[in-house]
Amino acid sequence: MASDILLPGQSVSLPRGPAPKLGGGLYSKDGQVRASLVGVAQYEGSSLVISRVRSHPPAANSVVLGTVTRLSPLQAIISISVVDGVPLPAGEEFNGVIRTQDVRATEKDKVKIGDCFRGGDVVKGVVISLGDARSYYITTARNDLGVIFATSEAGASMDPVSWQEMRCPKTGRIEKRKCAKPETL
Amino acid sequence: MAQSANDRRRINGPEESFPPVFDDDDEDMKLKTQRSRAPGDIRPIFLQPGLISQANGSAYIETEKTKIACAVYGPRQSKTTTYSEKGRLNVEVKFTPFSCTRRRAPMRDAEDRSIGVSIHQAIVSSIRLELFPKSTIDVFITIIENDGIEGCIASGSLAASTALADAGIEMLGLVASCSAAIVGDDIQLDPSEAEARASSGTLILACMPALDSITSIWQSGQMSAELSLKCMEQCHERCIDIHSIVAQSLLEHRRSN
Repeated sequence: MASDILLPGQSVSLPRGPAPKLGGGLYSKDGQVRASLVGVAQYEGSSLVISRVRSHPPAANSVVLGTVTRLSPLQAIISISVVDGVPLPAGEEFNGVIRTQDVRATEKDKVKIGDCFRGGDVVKGVVISLGDARSYYITTARNDLGVIFATSEAGASMDPVSWQEMRCPKTGRIEKRKCAKPETL
Repeated sequence: MAQSANDRRRINGPEESFPPVFDDDDEDMKLKTQRSRAPGDIRPIFLQPGLISQANGSAYIETEKTKIACAVYGPRQSKTTTYSEKGRLNVEVKFTPFSCTRRRAPMRDAEDRSIGVSIHQAIVSSIRLELFPKSTIDVFITIIENDGIEGCIASGSLAASTALADAGIEMLGLVASCSAAIVGDDIQLDPSEAEARASSGTLILACMPALDSITSIWQSGQMSAELSLKCMEQCHERCIDIHSIVAQSLLEHRRSN
């Protein structure tokens, strides 16, 4: 039974005992658990989900990747292209905003956006709120969040030196960025 | 869109065009209005999900002379500037110029829009829009061949629901839809254009058979209360059969991928 493909609206028979937590792709109506996606229901930890590989819009706590498209003294505008590891179709990017107070966890009042991001940088962040009508609010205030790819003025891709600096391998010049520390280090 | 009557990028056909007239046309018309199937039977349905590769999800439906392609894009960020907690569903219907007996100018008119509104109505309550804040889901329906507005709305809703399921958009259930026409005192299900023209009233019912709930009823023309209730009952019964067609096509498509 467990490997059967479910269709939207189809009721899911649950084993006796405590009801599992319902994850994505399932809903409960009138005491009956039903599927809302085409797929196979599986347990992920303690919750029952129908996993989807298709892209979905960002939600709070989604890990997103995006490109910096515009900078202003108060915020950096990001074009989100990957949500929770799933790339969005071309041309269907979402807009995100990193405000100065969301760049890093400490010394928030000393943040200068120009010393943290540049246009074209690829940034890893976490969505903190759905934001306003135009954009999602993103934070990089964590060690593993920040710029993960950037090109220098000379056009070479730079290597991180510290959490606030990157070096250009061509000219050896140091540029300021809020770098992400890779989780494996 | 007012200027697109003189759209220079298109090859504009003559303003007025007529189908050729043949000698046996009258006889032909008589044949057309005569139904070849029982009043309670519907035209055979061919349904294929995932035909348009660049769309998030798509479906193609064919019921004899009604041919409809449907593509679903999104959820993408809403272009409107107002914040909305729920997602928006946007349904656009287009006729191909060769879809009707008379040539159709490639412009949006009142008919596309009313079909779009009916299809929107039929499927909107099946989608869990509360899961898509600030987003829009776009459904584009192209009517390749048209054989009656009622059939177009019913098949269009069916194709749209299949395409949404194919796109992996969370729904409460699959929508099935069926139309009926009153000809004389009879109820004829799934009328073609000629049959609908000969009828005194029509009814389109859309429902989610899995949840046993109705999403929309659209009635036009003249119909007694008793007959319209009977129509709904018959349509609802037929929708359960149609639902199994949708389910089968989605399962087959899923297994083949």
